[in-house]
Amino acid sequence: MKKIALALAAVAGLAATGAQAQNYPTRPITMIVPFAAGGPTDVVARIVTDHMSRTLGQQIVIENVAGAGGTTGITRAAQSQPDGYTIMMGHMGTHGAAPALYPNLKYDPTKDFAAIGMAAGTPIVIVAKKDFPANDLKGFLDYMKTNAEKVNMAHAGVGSVSHSTGILFNSIIKVKPTMVAYRGTGPALNDLMANTVDYMTDQIVNVAPQIQGGNIKAFAIATPERSPVLPNVPTTKEAGLGDYQVSAWNAVFAPKGTPPDVVKKLNEALVKSLDDENTKKRLLELGGVLPSAEEKTPEGLQKLVDSEVARWTPVLKAAGASAE
Amino acid sequence: MPASHEGSGVSGHRGPVRAPQGIAGGILLIALAALALWLTRDLDQGTLNAMGPAMLPRWLAIGVGLSGLALIAFAFIRDGEPLERWSLRGPFFVILAILAFAVTIRPFSLGSLTIPGLGVLVAGPLAIILGGYATNEARFRDLLILALSLTPFCMVLFGDLLNLPIPIFPQAMASLFPADWSQKAIMRLMAAVLVVAALVVFFTTRGSRKTAIDVADHSGRI
Amino acid sequence: MSDLLSNLSLGFSVALTLQNILLAFLGCLVGTLIGVLPGVGPIATIAMLLPITFGFDPTGALIMLAGIYYGAQYGGSTTAILVNIPGEATSVVTALDGHQMARQGRAGVALGVAAIGSFFAGTVATLVIAALGAPLTGLALLFGPTEYFSLMVMGLVFAVVLARGSILKAIAMILVGVLLSTVGLDLETGEERMTFGLPFLSDGIDFAVLAMGIFGIAEIMRNLDHTEHRDVVRQSIGRLLPNKDDFKQAYKPAIRGTIIGAILGILPGNGAVLGPFASYTLEKKLAKDPRRFGRGAIEGVAGPESANNAGAQTSFIPLLTLGIPPNAVMALMVGAMTIHGIIPGPQVMTKNPNLFWGMIASMWVGNLMLLIINLPLVGMWVRLLKVPYRLLFPAILMFCCIGIYSINSLPTDVMFIALFGLVGYTLMKFGFEPAPMLLGFVLGKLMEENLRRALIISRGSLETFIERPVSAGLLAVSAILLVIALLPSIRKGRDEVFTE
Repeated sequence: MKKIALALAAVAGLAATGAQAQNYPTRPITMIVPFAAGGPTDVVARIVTDHMSRTLGQQIVIENVAGAGGTTGITRAAQSQPDGYTIMMGHMGTHGAAPALYPNLKYDPTKDFAAIGMAAGTPIVIVAKKDFPANDLKGFLDYMKTNAEKVNMAHAGVGSVSHSTGILFNSIIKVKPTMVAYRGTGPALNDLMANTVDYMTDQIVNVAPQIQGGNIKAFAIATPERSPVLPNVPTTKEAGLGDYQVSAWNAVFAPKGTPPDVVKKLNEALVKSLDDENTKKRLLELGGVLPSAEEKTPEGLQKLVDSEVARWTPVLKAAGASAE
Repeated sequence: MPASHEGSGVSGHRGPVRAPQGIAGGILLIALAALALWLTRDLDQGTLNAMGPAMLPRWLAIGVGLSGLALIAFAFIRDGEPLERWSLRGPFFVILAILAFAVTIRPFSLGSLTIPGLGVLVAGPLAIILGGYATNEARFRDLLILALSLTPFCMVLFGDLLNLPIPIFPQAMASLFPADWSQKAIMRLMAAVLVVAALVVFFTTRGSRKTAIDVADHSGRI
Repeated sequence: MSDLLSNLSLGFSVALTLQNILLAFLGCLVGTLIGVLPGVGPIATIAMLLPITFGFDPTGALIMLAGIYYGAQYGGSTTAILVNIPGEATSVVTALDGHQMARQGRAGVALGVAAIGSFFAGTVATLVIAALGAPLTGLALLFGPTEYFSLMVMGLVFAVVLARGSILKAIAMILVGVLLSTVGLDLETGEERMTFGLPFLSDGIDFAVLAMGIFGIAEIMRNLDHTEHRDVVRQSIGRLLPNKDDFKQAYKPAIRGTIIGAILGILPGNGAVLGPFASYTLEKKLAKDPRRFGRGAIEGVAGPESANNAGAQTSFIPLLTLGIPPNAVMALMVGAMTIHGIIPGPQVMTKNPNLFWGMIASMWVGNLMLLIINLPLVGMWVRLLKVPYRLLFPAILMFCCIGIYSINSLPTDVMFIALFGLVGYTLMKFGFEPAPMLLGFVLGKLMEENLRRALIISRGSLETFIERPVSAGLLAVSAILLVIALLPSIRKGRDEVFTE
């Protein structure tokens, strides 16, 4: 047994470095999703890879490696072989807010990855409890001027999208409400519906059903255009707060050093998947925003990551937010 | 390999200590409380208005410590249980087996030591065979057959039927097979090989069934 | 009433198509088989099996997923009874008396009672959901952080009141459990607590890891000490199914358990977790001879298992009517629904009545399938106990490792079951019981978070817990229970709830 184990170890030690990019892919590809199965990022990943697998002729297997706001999974993916057989679904948190939130982060979002392309953006909506004494963003801002100390803002935990986007929102409107943390969006929404907390910002996919059902009110959506899912909700620009533009984007990355032609193949498969009617339909149903032609390119994504890190770091640091 | 030893030898003791188990338990609780207090020493306790991260753990630790003290106090007042016999062999091999699985299932590195990911193909049999030696009734042949038959079962169940992203075999092994073989074909072939090996071992060693293998001889190897 | 009937008939017309019956059956079967693997609870099972539902239409996929959920839940109870490894919090209680029954050669009876009790509870819960789902929605909104904290306090008092042997040791274990639950990043500030700087501890300790360690692995270590004990398990195997006397003993606990579980299941934030504990507490209080509990009392399996299943089912109410997942499993169902293009929310009922009522009807179908699948399997499971222990435990060990690894793909999780196994073994050697610790662990996280939330919202005023009527009521009940516990006269009658 010992000998066999040693032999196996030796063989494995020779690591499959000779993967030939021309034939890529010859075996299934693992996509690390740094969140639990069923979350918004996981859903986007599964929708997009479904079609990509068909283009590539090899299955893309989703591996959910959750933990520490997604940084556990991304750390692992960043450290894996750059042979194109391990890719990942990064998002606004792991590739934008993380450097500010996690001082001991083991990767640099701007340097340690080969960008493949954007998959989908998820707009952020500003929502409030049903009984909130204001009906639009302007009324909300007026109310906040005099009552800020009475107001409670909910978020889904330090490092979550609703936390980062909420801090950005508060810093733009210059208020300091009392922050109430929840473990995930579900419980936070539950208390928002029960009028226990006053307002929050979160991804459209999480809040849209409650807005449509009249359980909470929406003040504005932080995108340049209105969403077909919530046609009655004005954009932040329309509501007079054009500075608040934010999206929880999801994008595909590979570890740094992945051969350029592998990146190209993956990008082509991703673009093809995003052009597919069925993929489009499913992403739009979620309230997702399809990436622009530029965002679909590796260069466009790299630019986005650079600008996101530059944008989040000062805001989150100023708010003293840290997850370590 | 005589692996059990007598508690701290207090079981027959007739002194002021009337419940040795209580003393040991109390010390354990106090140590735990001290550890928690030490770990939370730098954290802010906050106020009721804005409770800090340390408030609850600190009060709980104090509660645990007080329970420990009370246990010790009662140990002098009331009669209680003596300390049980401890065995070392069971926990040792069980833990060893679990650790062996953990470090071989996927690439693992600790300092300068690096183990390539060997997958279920290696980690599974390691866990079964090492773990099996936790009892002194262990027989290498039986454990080998068990490992050779359960591992392919798990490979097919998790890797093939359920499509779990769990590493099945060392990636480098794939290069030993023709390039046009799919991952699953390789996996199925390996599973088949293991089953055949299990059958071979089963039938070729049938006669030696009664021969108990000297356990101490094998326990350190593999 | 006629509404209910027409809705249900719509539901059954969806659920009883050949395809959906097959999917329900398949889901239950696969769920049971995977859920039976030690350490693989419903969450892990659904996460694992989610991709295989992709090919179906949304209704079929959800019916299958729901089937996987019940199957895994039931499979988890099977593991708890057979090898004393609870796959999730709610089967901790089942392990107490269920495993004792297995040791006495009554594994078949325990499994049978669990299956039949679950079916009964499932049937009642399906009707509750169909009839009262919409009106009961409001209940979820009545429970804010304040009420929830008080409910958790009551849960802890259950453990204190009933734990005995040494009440002091039980309290200590509950405190240790709550303490363990505070390990990890602080939710409010994001600071690390007691993580030794280890990144994988920053999300806290996983329940499955802790439970498998201090129950499963520690149990193996302890069994290896006592050769005589485990031989009992495989020598006499007894009847495979419960007889008339068993039913007589079990039916009332099953009814009470169903009611308790159904009510607690509707609460947000994993109230269902309290169901089995509450039911066990109640049965023990009502029993003529409470001493039998913890030594293989059939009521201690029938009640909690019914409560468990009823709660598992009614916890669909907040999901289906509000779109708010009350616990991790339901959060996964939300993901499954979104992947299939159904965004859960209050509109599902009106927009997709076929899906909504079809799913409710399929719950009952699923429960029936579970019974059909599991009664014949009882024989197989029981036969498993005949495998010599020296071969059985290495196999359990390997399945534990694979099961834990497959949840998060983290080898550190696997290492931690070894650590907690050693901790559990040490605790047993010092006369502590692991069950109160697990209860403290499960309730601890919810308790701290809700306490802090409640205090933040009330701006630091403790009076909030008394001012709010529901919270005050819960605290009053807890106080009364505690007083009863501490009255010495009643204390004499107390027996071991959580004893192994």
